[in-house]
Amino acid sequence: MTKWGMVIDLDKCTGCQACTTACAMENNTLPGENWQDVLYYSEGSYPTAKLTWLPRPCMQCENPSCVAVCPTRATYKDMDAGGIVFVDWNKCIGCKYCMIACPYGVRFYADEKPVVEPDVRDVFPGTGQLHAPPYQGPHDDAVRGIGIQPKGVVSKCTFCYHKVSQAPAGVADLDEDNPETKEFTPACVRTCPPKARYFGDLDNPESEVNRLIADQRGVRLKDHTGNRPQVYYLGSGADVPAYQPPKKS
Amino acid sequence: MNKGNILQGPMGLGLAVVSAIVALAAFGYAFMDLSAVGHRSFNTSSQIPWGQPIATYLYFALASSGLGMIAALSLVFGFKQFLPIAKRAIFLSFVILISGMAVLAMELGHVFRMLWVIPLNMQIESAMFWMGVFYVADLIFLLWKFQKMEGREWDSKTSKQIGIASFLAVLLASGNLALIFGMMSMRPFWFDGLMPIYFYLTAVASGLAAVVFFTYLAYGFNRDAMPERTRAMFEGPMGKLFAAVLGGTVLFIAVRAVTGLYTNNPEISVVWRDFLFASPVYQASLWLGIVAPFVIMLVKGLRSNPSMQVLVSMAVFAGLFAERYFFVVGGQVVPLFRGTWEWGLIQYTPSLTEWALTIMGSAMLFALYAAGERFLNLSDMPAEPAPEGATAAA
Amino acid sequence: MDKINSGISRRRFLATTGTGALTVSAVAVGVPGTGVQNTPAQAQAARPNTTITKNICAQCPARCGIDVYTTNGRVHAIYGDVGNPIANGKGCPKMHLGTYFLYDPDRFKGPMKRTNPNKGRNEDPGFVPISWDEAFDTVAARLNDLRDRGESHRFAHFYGRGWGPTDAGLYGDWGKLYGTPNAAIGHASMCAEGSKRAKRATDGNDSYNSYDYANTNYILNFGASFLEAFRPYNYLMQMWGKMRSKSPQTRITSIDVRMNPTMAASDRAVYIKPATDGAMALAVAHVILTEGLWDREFVGDFADGRNHFVTGQPIETAVMPEPVTDPETGEVTQAAPEGSGFVELWTHGMARWWNEELKDRTPEWAESVTDVPASTIRAVAREFGTTRPAMAIMERGPTSHTNGTYAGMAIHALNALVGSLYAEKGGLFYQMGVPYGGLPVNADDYMDDWAKNGAWKNYPRIDKARTEEWPMASHMMQEAGPNHLKGDPYKMDTAMFYYTNPIWTAPNPQVWEEALKDVFIIETSPFPSETAMYADIIMPEHTYLERWQDSPTYPFEGWPMTALRVPGVEPIYDTKHFGDMLIEIGKRINGPMGDYYREIDNVENVLRHRAKGFEANPGDNGVNSFESWAEKGVWYKKPYHWHHRRGKFYEWDGEGYNVEMTPEDVKAKLLKTPSGKFEFVSGYLEGHAAYIERELGVSADRVGLIQWVPPVHTGGGGDLHFVSPKTPLHAEGRSGNIPHGIAIHQPIVGGKNTVFLEVHPDTARARGIRDGDRVRITSDVGSIEAYCRFMPGHRRDTIVLPMEHGHWAHGRWARGRLPGHSGDVTANVSDPISGLASYYTGKVKLERV
Repeated sequence: MTKWGMVIDLDKCTGCQACTTACAMENNTLPGENWQDVLYYSEGSYPTAKLTWLPRPCMQCENPSCVAVCPTRATYKDMDAGGIVFVDWNKCIGCKYCMIACPYGVRFYADEKPVVEPDVRDVFPGTGQLHAPPYQGPHDDAVRGIGIQPKGVVSKCTFCYHKVSQAPAGVADLDEDNPETKEFTPACVRTCPPKARYFGDLDNPESEVNRLIADQRGVRLKDHTGNRPQVYYLGSGADVPAYQPPKKS
Repeated sequence: MNKGNILQGPMGLGLAVVSAIVALAAFGYAFMDLSAVGHRSFNTSSQIPWGQPIATYLYFALASSGLGMIAALSLVFGFKQFLPIAKRAIFLSFVILISGMAVLAMELGHVFRMLWVIPLNMQIESAMFWMGVFYVADLIFLLWKFQKMEGREWDSKTSKQIGIASFLAVLLASGNLALIFGMMSMRPFWFDGLMPIYFYLTAVASGLAAVVFFTYLAYGFNRDAMPERTRAMFEGPMGKLFAAVLGGTVLFIAVRAVTGLYTNNPEISVVWRDFLFASPVYQASLWLGIVAPFVIMLVKGLRSNPSMQVLVSMAVFAGLFAERYFFVVGGQVVPLFRGTWEWGLIQYTPSLTEWALTIMGSAMLFALYAAGERFLNLSDMPAEPAPEGATAAA
Repeated sequence: MDKINSGISRRRFLATTGTGALTVSAVAVGVPGTGVQNTPAQAQAARPNTTITKNICAQCPARCGIDVYTTNGRVHAIYGDVGNPIANGKGCPKMHLGTYFLYDPDRFKGPMKRTNPNKGRNEDPGFVPISWDEAFDTVAARLNDLRDRGESHRFAHFYGRGWGPTDAGLYGDWGKLYGTPNAAIGHASMCAEGSKRAKRATDGNDSYNSYDYANTNYILNFGASFLEAFRPYNYLMQMWGKMRSKSPQTRITSIDVRMNPTMAASDRAVYIKPATDGAMALAVAHVILTEGLWDREFVGDFADGRNHFVTGQPIETAVMPEPVTDPETGEVTQAAPEGSGFVELWTHGMARWWNEELKDRTPEWAESVTDVPASTIRAVAREFGTTRPAMAIMERGPTSHTNGTYAGMAIHALNALVGSLYAEKGGLFYQMGVPYGGLPVNADDYMDDWAKNGAWKNYPRIDKARTEEWPMASHMMQEAGPNHLKGDPYKMDTAMFYYTNPIWTAPNPQVWEEALKDVFIIETSPFPSETAMYADIIMPEHTYLERWQDSPTYPFEGWPMTALRVPGVEPIYDTKHFGDMLIEIGKRINGPMGDYYREIDNVENVLRHRAKGFEANPGDNGVNSFESWAEKGVWYKKPYHWHHRRGKFYEWDGEGYNVEMTPEDVKAKLLKTPSGKFEFVSGYLEGHAAYIERELGVSADRVGLIQWVPPVHTGGGGDLHFVSPKTPLHAEGRSGNIPHGIAIHQPIVGGKNTVFLEVHPDTARARGIRDGDRVRITSDVGSIEAYCRFMPGHRRDTIVLPMEHGHWAHGRWARGRLPGHSGDVTANVSDPISGLASYYTGKVKLERV
């Protein structure tokens, strides 16, 4: 059975955030509601300062801690969809417990103060949905949290299921450089300029993602949580520094 | 026996009406905001999804559970000294839970959807599901028990069984509520298997504060106006019980603080150091709202003093509210994978709308309580037990 | 295709956010693998009404080909075009936000005129809608009148991002026919002229380079923001991915004045004192020579084969023996020189350069100038000198200073020393042009007497570029406003602006705010801007997603390429193509000029004629006509025609690099200097010796040398260097008003709804500034406020504020967004040679507000 997985090579990633904007436009998210965020970490100081970055989608965990906590089964792991974790917008009651339970901070409650004023929801008001963004994609699947989100629900990365689901059955990798699979590759993978991202079937030993994980010793973020992400990182930089309060003065 | 209860008269009606007006006004304000801009009117965010409304709900729900446990002292465990407040405690437990749920309803994204999706989907793995189950059971048993009491059915077998069931529901509800937080290993500030015990203790503390305050309120803060057995309770065991419970609370906070500060894990130690102890509000609520009341209740000459008891109950009200707030928010202030987007601890101050919900819940409690005092006999208690060998009074 | 409308079109009142019955004039492209080729293309098999049109992103100069996804008349996705050699299906963070340009709620919805005669920051222009006819007639009447009065020189065109033959490409003929020296004044001097002039002075090509990144093994990057703003950014990141995963991995050293993603991702980050890159480059050259690491096949060698480059010791040029002519056969033979002199091959002036400049430019000397440890300079030089192929790249970091051209020359000289110019693999080249077809008519045939011999020919340009004031500058837009204010050389009457907003972007724009008050201004942007607030006529053009437009590539991989914009939707408002505006105004000018533009007729006609050139030169992707160009979105033809291999230059003969080039050929086509060699002593600069001596204080006999010239910092005695870089989210002219961009603009220190001033904590503390404090940055031309963010990764003497916000008329999201605009504290001082505005040379004071 297909198990979709992503591999992110941090040695190639340039921290440009193209994944973030491609995702935002593809998935109609609000400014700052970065389903696919790039997190910068700054340590040390001149002349030996260290700056690192970490692109972070939803990990689509094998053992997702967000799923069990949901009182309504609105969030669920769909094994028939390659193990992607979805939010059913028709069931979500907006209790936000899943956001508490996610160790990766990749769940969003868009019904919050806007990051950027004036609020795009006021500038582009929607009817029956949170807003009608200018780029409004044509895909809608509320059961999987795809489309323009309604009010009062939690949203998250879907691995661009509206694209991925159209892929030919049994394909090992969704590679944007392959014309056969380009359109079915998740937005963040498809656009990544240095090709730091790969997307494929973790359940297929022949897949490129498995080869990369094996050859380059892929690691999973915060593996100690036991969530077992389906997103792997290569290269240096997945050792996210522990939180340290910055000095104010 | 109700002759000293000032709330039975126009005062009660007045308080009920005034509180209802405040509650309605606060509801109206929050409702207008929520209909206009949704939860944008909250200062919660995807980084701090649970804010003061959740803390308020938690506070009310636990106070309710505490009141249930206090009622159980006499109704289940036979500590007859506490019988004078049993009925009031059951009633308060009920209305405070209703008030808390009203606050929660305004916090959820889709409250009405909840009514059908939870039962239809039966997600028994979710503590949130069990919270629904247990608190609904709790509500039903509280109501049922109260109905029995209202029928002056104090000692019947059914009444006792309902009392026991109600007590169990209270334990399950508040214990499960504790686990909603305590089971979250990804939120180390909360992750604690003993969280239910901590919640039980603090629940009783806030329940005591409530029952002390409201009983005094009913009698115009005049202990002499109270029925004799009630007065005896306040003069005798109440202070000791309060002292014991506050002592346990202090102990629990202390061990949590010590382990929290000791650990290197910044998601715990930084919270204690930079969020809790760095906050004057937290410091004040801890020292004035919990430690000082404990000290007062420890002192023999003070613990029975009516003014002290009222003062302590009010201080504990405030202290535990802050405790709940800092507990809920504290589990979320350390940025989770935020990098430079969050430079320091995540900033959160409740918005006016969120305060409106807290005020709405509190005013609702006052209104319902005052109405209860006015229209129901909350001071009711079974007659003095007959001397040994005599037939029980009917 | 947009028809030339007269009257206010109905569309203008119907169109609000792209609804209404719009037909998509898109060329259908199939999605491979779905079995639906050559039918209306589909984003998904289930979405038959989605079309994909080819376009070119317009948010930076890179010209990435994009696929524009339109469903039911609404653009909803933009991805890189797989068939475009720059984009290769990929996108930078800006590309995807392009729909915000189209659906920007603050767009001008049709032509307007001003009703309030007063101009200023706080004056409401009182714009009222007019018809296009009225707009064109008003402008034409004004221009005809000016021409009749013999003052046609007082009309000026200003442009920023010109794309090609349909816009900026029309200016030349337009100005020639109308009669103004001011058609057109470009923004190059506010862009990156420094590197162009450095190359002009050394290898004779007045251009940015093309690069073979895919095959280089070493990049020495001087302040080029490779992973933020160097172009073509998208392609550079693709190359980054290749370079960092190929075998052997390309090693990258970055030299910059601040921490940034490029520095962080490089193998070695070298912090340098602002404006001293030239000194470091000279020291690197010194080490390469003293340690014998130079490329002998390109540069040459000592006659005796031994290395005589010793610090502080002069060398000699080899004396070539007299050629011997065999009396019988007449054959001329050249004996090898003897002795210890240096024999140069493809370079010029080595001995003089070494003796008069380089021999004392040791790493220790450079350390004293640059703050870079001598050991680091040595290590970098050894790596660079021992790794082949290697390239030294640069951009505004080193060149945006008063000594910028000399710094750029020193850096570029490193490419000559390691033989990477035109190198077969991993080399640097120059961009080839596109074999376009001609226009249907020749402007020379439509010139009246005024155009041919009018008094306008006696006037210099308003910006005085190419006059004795700026003899080597191609454009000096930043001077135009101040010059007008002074009335020197004259006052402008009317000015038309295209893709440029100098009232905000010019250094010290406060002067422009005053200067343009008495100029009749025609603004053509679809978006509000500071310059638009001064406009007398607003003629909004289409956004890039609504228009036909070709664009030859910026220097890229060398071989010729030109991409095409195809409208993804019909224009959603009453807008026009800028080229059509020029043509329509041209038609209304009296005399033969009007006839000429009636022949040209419209932009589509121009494009169709240009595309005729492809018939004889079909592109590698089969494009041989306008239609196939629109379908594929790009015409290109590989390979690049020249390269250098082991001391010899070769030209492509259609099958291989088989034609060895003569020195004359090399001079004509590749090394276009007076000597036909790479010049360490620049003949170009020597031609302006008196000017350079006057402006830079370099003695006239030394001006040709690639040398260290100390910078002159502006700002009026401030103690902190102030730099204002462009971030990856900086979309030209618009990112201040794109909410999705604003929300993630400055990840390095977390600027998520504005940008912060990045300050080293020690620097802040010394001024009593805490993290998050509101601060004031002051120079002698102004002061701005910002919020401070601690950034311990920066130099203590350098503060960093991304150039982004501080707009006062840019749209609803840009409005009132602190910080102030970096330009407001930037003095209008330029490198006298290149004319490049010294944006990064200011020194400022910093204090807590």
